[in-house]
Amino acid sequence: MRDDDQSGTSGTSGADIAESEFDDAELLGQADWIIGGEEARKARQQGLYAAYLVFLGSLAYGFPLVQALFRTSNPEVLRQQLASPEAAGLLLAAVAGVFLAALWVGRFRGPVVPPLPWIDLVVTTPIDRALSVRRWWRFALSAGVFLGAITGLVLGGGLAFTGVTSPVSVAVGLVAGAAVAVAATHLWLWSQVRSWPGPNRGPKLLWHVPEALRELHVDGLRAHSANTSTLAGSAMTGNLRTARLALARPVRFARGVRLRPGRPFPTMVRRDILGLLRSPASLAAGFGLVVLGGAVVVWAATQSSAPGIGVTIGLVPLYLGFGAWSEGLRLQADNVGTPSLIGSGPLAEASAHLVVPLAFTTVVLAAGMVVSALAAPVSVLSLLSLVAVLAVLCGGHLLAAFRGSAPVRGGPQGMIAWYLMPVIFVLIVGSLMTFFVKAQLWSWLGFAGWTTIGFVWWGFWQARRLTHMHRA
Amino acid sequence: MGVVTVLTGEVRADGVSKAIDSTTLLLPTDVSADPGECVVLRGQNGSGKTTLLRIIGGLLAPSAGTATIGGREADERDRAVRAAVAGLLGAPTTYRDLTLIDHLVLIDSTWGGEPSTSDDRGTALLERLGIASLDDRFPHELSSGQEQLFRLAITFARPSSVLLLDEPEQRLDTTKRQIVGALIRERTSAGSTVVMACHDPEMTASLGDQVVDIKPAR
Repeated sequence: MRDDDQSGTSGTSGADIAESEFDDAELLGQADWIIGGEEARKARQQGLYAAYLVFLGSLAYGFPLVQALFRTSNPEVLRQQLASPEAAGLLLAAVAGVFLAALWVGRFRGPVVPPLPWIDLVVTTPIDRALSVRRWWRFALSAGVFLGAITGLVLGGGLAFTGVTSPVSVAVGLVAGAAVAVAATHLWLWSQVRSWPGPNRGPKLLWHVPEALRELHVDGLRAHSANTSTLAGSAMTGNLRTARLALARPVRFARGVRLRPGRPFPTMVRRDILGLLRSPASLAAGFGLVVLGGAVVVWAATQSSAPGIGVTIGLVPLYLGFGAWSEGLRLQADNVGTPSLIGSGPLAEASAHLVVPLAFTTVVLAAGMVVSALAAPVSVLSLLSLVAVLAVLCGGHLLAAFRGSAPVRGGPQGMIAWYLMPVIFVLIVGSLMTFFVKAQLWSWLGFAGWTTIGFVWWGFWQARRLTHMHRA
Repeated sequence: MGVVTVLTGEVRADGVSKAIDSTTLLLPTDVSADPGECVVLRGQNGSGKTTLLRIIGGLLAPSAGTATIGGREADERDRAVRAAVAGLLGAPTTYRDLTLIDHLVLIDSTWGGEPSTSDDRGTALLERLGIASLDDRFPHELSSGQEQLFRLAITFARPSSVLLLDEPEQRLDTTKRQIVGALIRERTSAGSTVVMACHDPEMTASLGDQVVDIKPAR
């Protein structure tokens, strides 16, 4: 047994206490063989095969996608914009976003999550904890570095192959992506350590990994392992409420603030405002994502030099941010199938729950438009395309909240399609108007407008249908 | 805003039964209750009491027979039925970001309660159930029994001519059962119809104008 095991809770001393010798590596090898046998070795090989598939997939799809992104814009203008302070700020914000996401995820699902039998039968033994859980840390670190390097490689390669930058950007992208991933994975582990009370949780653990691994409490490891099972089970059965509740922190803020009574519709709107006030993390996350996505969407919709696909890319964070503010809509959907507690009909209630996210997002996009208009004239049609984006976000979140039960047929592909269906429609329909405006296909604008209206109608129709379909 | 027909609390279930594939959940059963009456459904676990309540509430279509509320088919898609029927059938989904009093104010407001007295009504109801001191708690901060009282509070908070309760005595001590019994009695005295499943003999004897024994399907 290592004598440098200095976790805050294990210290015993005394001259007359007998000591035993443990060969940690041998004990771990025996445990491995007994618990996993030959299958464990095969499972690790399957992990390598998955990485190989990701690498091939990024080559096959990543490069063409990134090249398409850069080829649809003017290289000279794009090069200037990439060298601008705004681009640097956006890059820093994206990296900061990755770090914040690592810290957030680490609260309930850290990088070190051994299976429950391993935790109960091996982690609880006197074997040095830095060794007994090290394997999962190495898995997470390797996977993180691999994904970071691939992302950097694809982005750097895309820039270089389309002539926007020199070929050096390939190597820079590779190294930068890997470096960001290393930092993010360490932050992820630190957040996992901090998710359980303990005496030693300072930033020093960020670069002392063995010490951080020894600080992982067995109950914390169990909780993270159970969270993983809950999330995976919820994802596979389509039980999104369970997944949300597993992720959400219990609300404790602003309990002294009361919901002000009034007419039904405004009271439900005030309910959503109060809900966000009591969930500052959702409010802040929504704000960050909407600002990021809104900036990209406004830039892509109003600037002629911007790549057309920019709207589609910006819609992803915009959709997620709008969703962070739409808890009221999801709670309404959760109540489907129970006797009415709320005195309003399903459509009025859904409309009321859209007011807050719609108003907040409109303010952010309007601010973006003002900034954009100060730099260059903005056309009325580009303004119209942003209105269409707002409508599409409403329709998409209605479909997401009222998506119904997961498909029982179709396998994993059907399940993935069921999850992604709302956001995919948002990306397609939301990009249409901007695409037609930028391509000056005026005769298609009517089609885009009607598609947008139809999409919102579909969302409300789905809300109404799901509210009543349980009666069978 | 649309016009909603106000239904009286006449509850009729004529020979309603429910089967899914080859499994029978409820054998043909009759229930008849007029405004101001309380009908207690009694039967073993799994005999179909909850299924019958869901059929009467219009949440479930019967396989055979008919169920009506105020002379209208019991169908939850009908706004008039929704307006008439309040029910505690299983655990209602509450808002994790609203306190107890906020829930009552929200429900009261959406049913057109007078805003200036909405807080008072909510507080009075919580006081009746003995949980007024918990008014600023969130639902996840309640014990099992307190949670049941809160569920009853949000069920009683909305107006209704028919009240459906599935084992309201669950997880409550004797004193609290008496309080709930008194609230139910007040509802029937005010003209509401109450149909409830109950396993408590004392509550059944003191509240039930009629007792319907549900025979188990197997």
